[in-house]
Amino acid sequence: MQAAAQTRYIAQPQGTSVKVDGTSTAHDWEMEGRSIGGYIEFGPKVKLDAAQTTIPGLNDGKVPATVQAHIPVTSIHAKVEHMPDVMDHLMQEHLKADQFSQIQYHLTEMTFKGPHAPGKPFAFDTTGNLSIAGVTNKVSFPVTIELLDAGKIKVNAAVPLKMTAFRVDPPAPNIGLGLMRCGDDIKVIIDWTLKERN
Amino acid sequence: MAMMGGVELRAGDAPRPAASSEAPLTKIPIGPTVKYGVIGLGARGREVLKDLALLPNAPVAAICDSYPSSLRRAGDNDAPKAKRFDDYQQLLASKEVQAVVIATPTPNHREMALAALQAGKHVYCEAPLANSIEDAKAIAAAARDSIKLVFQAGLQERSHPQRHFLLPFIRAGALGETVLARAQSHRNNSWVSASSNPEHEKALNWRLHQKTSTGLMGEVGIHQIDAVSWFLRARPTAITGFGSLLRWKDGRDVADTVQGVFEYPGGIRLMYDATLCNSFDKEYEMYYGTESAVMVRDAKAWMFKEPDAALLGWEVYARKDDFYTETGIALVANATKQATIGTAATAGNTTSFTPLHYALEAFTTNVGQLDGAVKDFIDSFGDGDPKALADSLKALKPYAPAANWQDGLEATILAIKANEAVVQQQKITVEKELFNL
Repeated sequence: MQAAAQTRYIAQPQGTSVKVDGTSTAHDWEMEGRSIGGYIEFGPKVKLDAAQTTIPGLNDGKVPATVQAHIPVTSIHAKVEHMPDVMDHLMQEHLKADQFSQIQYHLTEMTFKGPHAPGKPFAFDTTGNLSIAGVTNKVSFPVTIELLDAGKIKVNAAVPLKMTAFRVDPPAPNIGLGLMRCGDDIKVIIDWTLKERN
Repeated sequence: MAMMGGVELRAGDAPRPAASSEAPLTKIPIGPTVKYGVIGLGARGREVLKDLALLPNAPVAAICDSYPSSLRRAGDNDAPKAKRFDDYQQLLASKEVQAVVIATPTPNHREMALAALQAGKHVYCEAPLANSIEDAKAIAAAARDSIKLVFQAGLQERSHPQRHFLLPFIRAGALGETVLARAQSHRNNSWVSASSNPEHEKALNWRLHQKTSTGLMGEVGIHQIDAVSWFLRARPTAITGFGSLLRWKDGRDVADTVQGVFEYPGGIRLMYDATLCNSFDKEYEMYYGTESAVMVRDAKAWMFKEPDAALLGWEVYARKDDFYTETGIALVANATKQATIGTAATAGNTTSFTPLHYALEAFTTNVGQLDGAVKDFIDSFGDGDPKALADSLKALKPYAPAANWQDGLEATILAIKANEAVVQQQKITVEKELFNL
């Protein structure tokens, strides 16, 4: 007898974005990208049903799932009017993009935060390994998954990070009016749309 | 006295933030390497090679010219490491070449640009794009549809930092109400290229005959007419032209002296003239407004305020300087590093690079950016959804300002119509539908 198939969701370009919010001694800044590749694969018995309060197939509240996500460093762009290329190159240099072209994440643990309110997104706590600029750290953050139509889901997360935790020096560009130093704390906001593989 | 003196507006080598933390102000960071092929190795093609040689990320992988001496001279002197081809199709077949510069006579542009885009090469095509509106539209349509490729028209002033430094002043109304524009290109040369081979000499001098050339309006005036239209954010609706062959009566049938009156909306007119018979005052553009006039010459500009004009505010930060016999106020982007301008302010281009250099630098930067965006998309989502890829690329804002296919098409149509007015010695209307693609 054939085992029930796992359900794999593949990253989609429409409805996917990553936003990075930061601070500096001069002003807040923002970067944005539209590429998050990878997939989410749920165990064979896991089924997200918008009408249900629980999720079948869990192991003591843990979701059997595999998540691999990657973001090309060069796909993230500064949201500035003037000299965006300079700011992008500055970011790429600090993230050692020539050696580590992708920011990578893989999930190690996913816990369902039930009960689910029918019609609302599902809520989870996650832990995983995040690799930036060649440094890998264990990171934990809450995630919601919203069921869309046509077999699509949308993952939302807001991930607070410290640049120095990944041995990234906060940039301090000389912008002509004096030195501006970026703050260590950043927030990464993820909107990730995936579609069930047929 | 009508004028109070010149206020110099100059970007020059305005410094940009360095790409590393706490480094001193230096220059634009270097983007990915783009390997070039250059097609057409006449005078312009060799200028292209010289300017590419100054870019650290723009190696020339291949060059092409159908005339052996031109190929050999350019290869030996300007691109010794490049592969040499006498057939542009062979150059386009080279997988090493990512981007091509088309610097051939204008009548060849259509065939070569279409073939280059078809071959998957990014294209920098010299202006005008073509000698006919039909050819220009064919190039523009192919460029528009080649979503993964950069197409840049050779309107190099569109990439010049000085122009981008100046643009906000004019657009912000520093002139008051714009009332008039004037531009000229005065040269004292025959426009003839010599060769020991009579057949080749005939081919070299394609600009001298109406059958193959849009004359001074098309081959020279296009840059200044485009600059004025760009600054005014408008297109002329009618052009009245005049042309005479006054000095170089050597068998050519294009005028060596032309004038044009370009009528823009709102009663604003550009008075343009170009001649090969006298070099006095060379090239410049003037914009006149109710508050002040601005002269753009080479890599500089000066503002001449009317005596009763209101203070703009920024003059406070500008340095006082001599300008001819007047005491004016100089405005320079990096004033603390400038030597006293004095009479040198009139000496011409003080930037380090040519307009062509900035245009090729912009092209290289934008090619690297677009190639990177295509790769990033495919790495993340695969290549199974061309529409999603196209949507993603359309949202990409080019890093460097440059003339795209639409700018090139509009400038080319205007140049063709201006030449038409010169040839017909009359006023012709420029219907806006003409620009539809």
